Amino acid sequence: MTAALAASLSSQGHSFLSPTGVEIVFVLVGLAVLGAAVLTVSTSQLVHAALWLVVALGGLAIEYLLLTAEFIAWVQVLIYLGSVVVLVLFGLMLTRAPIGRSPDADSGNRWVALGLAVVAAGTLVTLVVDAFRCTWMDLPASGSTSVNGSTQANGEVLFRYWVLPFEALSVLLLAALVGAIVLSRRHREEG
Amino acid sequence: MPPLPSGSVGPTGHTEHTGHTGQSHQRGSGHSGRSGGSGGFPGRGLAKGLAVTLRTMTRRSVTDQYPDAQPELPPRSRGVIALLEENCTVCMLCARECPDWCIYIDSHKETLPAAEPNARARTRNVLDRFAIDFSLCMYCGICIEVCPFDALFWSPEFEYAETDILELTHEREKLREWMWTVPPPPALDPAAEEPKEIAAARKAADKLAAADAAAEAAAAAAQESAGTTPPPGGEEPAP
Amino acid sequence: MTTALEALLRCVAVLVVFLTFPLVIGQTEHKVMAHMQGRLGPMYAGGFHGWAQLVADGVKFAQKEDIVPAGADRRIFQLAPAVALLPYLLVLIAIPVGPGGFVGQALDAGLFFVLAVMGIGVLGSLMAGWASANKFSLLGGVRSAAQLLAYELPMLLAAASVAMAAGTVSLTGILGAFHWWWVPWQIVGGFVFFTSGLAELQRPPFDMPVADSEIIFGAYTEYTGLRFALFLLSEYAGILVLCALTAVLFLGGWHGPLSADLGWLWTLLKTFALAFVVIWLRVTYPRLREDQLMRFAWTFLIPLALAQLALTGIVKVVIS
Repeated sequence: MTAALAASLSSQGHSFLSPTGVEIVFVLVGLAVLGAAVLTVSTSQLVHAALWLVVALGGLAIEYLLLTAEFIAWVQVLIYLGSVVVLVLFGLMLTRAPIGRSPDADSGNRWVALGLAVVAAGTLVTLVVDAFRCTWMDLPASGSTSVNGSTQANGEVLFRYWVLPFEALSVLLLAALVGAIVLSRRHREEG
Repeated sequence: MPPLPSGSVGPTGHTEHTGHTGQSHQRGSGHSGRSGGSGGFPGRGLAKGLAVTLRTMTRRSVTDQYPDAQPELPPRSRGVIALLEENCTVCMLCARECPDWCIYIDSHKETLPAAEPNARARTRNVLDRFAIDFSLCMYCGICIEVCPFDALFWSPEFEYAETDILELTHEREKLREWMWTVPPPPALDPAAEEPKEIAAARKAADKLAAADAAAEAAAAAAQESAGTTPPPGGEEPAP
Repeated sequence: MTTALEALLRCVAVLVVFLTFPLVIGQTEHKVMAHMQGRLGPMYAGGFHGWAQLVADGVKFAQKEDIVPAGADRRIFQLAPAVALLPYLLVLIAIPVGPGGFVGQALDAGLFFVLAVMGIGVLGSLMAGWASANKFSLLGGVRSAAQLLAYELPMLLAAASVAMAAGTVSLTGILGAFHWWWVPWQIVGGFVFFTSGLAELQRPPFDMPVADSEIIFGAYTEYTGLRFALFLLSEYAGILVLCALTAVLFLGGWHGPLSADLGWLWTLLKTFALAFVVIWLRVTYPRLREDQLMRFAWTFLIPLALAQLALTGIVKVVIS
């Protein structure tokens, strides 16, 4: 079975045994992202955790780039690095961001959390591996306009096949926005 | 949210806002920056501010490039105090009026022998030391104002910085040297009143001239009367 | 091999631009600001009208001791200037200067790249503000973060308006689709983009995060020597990037008479004209108060940007 699979793969010109440069870089960046992610949850300095999150999210953007999904990569940088992390840091600094270790950063539930995380990760990995198993997608050389991850391709897919989920998401975000306004208004009347 | 100062809260937040920024750049027209209060468009104050800076840029700057070029100082500049020691009578008024007590005067009395046998012997003050400590001086000019004999003058020289603070105490000789840098008094305004000194001097000169004229007239009259009856001796022959 | 060599050459060219143009802008600021205030500005360094003043400043900064406060978070404190500076270098790569591939590296989603990477620069002042262990620095950092969050939105909306008009998010593509009547069409968007860009760079009159009369120098209070110089350089590189971007997006970049041969000159001219405006604004207007700053973004710029977006959409539908 494995041999047959390998044979079929190599017959298509793909092999795990002779990786291309891009694939090696992909794996290395992936390891860096993993390390940064682990540090994000394990460090006991709050702001360092946020900054490690920056590294992890930035690494993910690089992974997208390696997959020629340029648009997604820059959106990742714009939204997650430029806004979400800044928001997180802003919140931290407004509330509490001591320099040095926060002794209460360690939870008593850490082992439970670790177990849950492993289970969730296992589920996701199984799902993805099972879904795509041996699907290979050819990535055209970057620079040509018909790249799978190009802005045009993304736009067409998003607004042709996935319009409904897109709109549902925007309604969800609108609901969150209105909720936030309502909460802050009530707060001001009390104060 | 804390209550905002009432000045910035209004139904038209942004126009108010632009008005605020513009306002601080308008000279003497406090109302016109606010939403175009004097018939302007919103943001008129902002445009005015931009115009002011742009206009200033096109004009020559007022900077004197001092070490390279000497500044043109106004004639009454207070640079350093000069002493005309010939005029000083050691009356000590300057030292006493000085708010910083930075003028040091030493003197002794000299008795002049009587000119005539019956006259009293006169005493005279002789200046031994006259020094101004410019590290204390605050350039108020009171000493110059109070000097009754015009012994102290302002000089516009200002380059006398020293590396040792003790050097800033200028002694008599140095103060006398500054005297050479004192400019002549500036010309009077066209319709100005005549200075008192000149008026007094003119009065005295007029008096003298009148006396001279009278004497001359008297002499001339005498000569005339003598001329009609020339003396028997006649004129002496020329040598 | 030739492609690698060419890529290297392009990177070197971008680096040279990155190291010289901000200095040119800084020197212009010295002189323009001085003359707008009736002064002469620097006159000695370099002999002729103080042209080498910023070089002299650089030498001075390099000689100074590099101090890290005892209570500071050392590594983040030292890393912050690089985080503040590098994004602008990256952005410069993607800005087209002239027609026919006169660009560091043309990107498919160039507009997104540029805006995304510019936003990262603020992370540098956030890190600096937090790691300095100084309350003024922290306040400065918090103010920068609040300012970035408030002004990123109108900036993106204004940029989106241009992308809509051109039907592409590639910077070269936008310039390719440019017509002269875009300037009046997108003028409101241009105003919003430029203004919020100024705010993002923390330039006066939006310099609350470094308000010297209130919080000394904000996030950069504790910095000395070369690291401080890097923060200053990042400010001027930011001006360069913002002006170049505004010129490309809203003023037609290389378009102008003889654009086939002198396109790059047009881009440079427009960029420096905008840089002059940045300096002019700095000289003219006093600093906004923090609440005015926020009010300006949320109640003025964002509605304007949305109106521009609607206008662009309507015109686009009408003409197509």
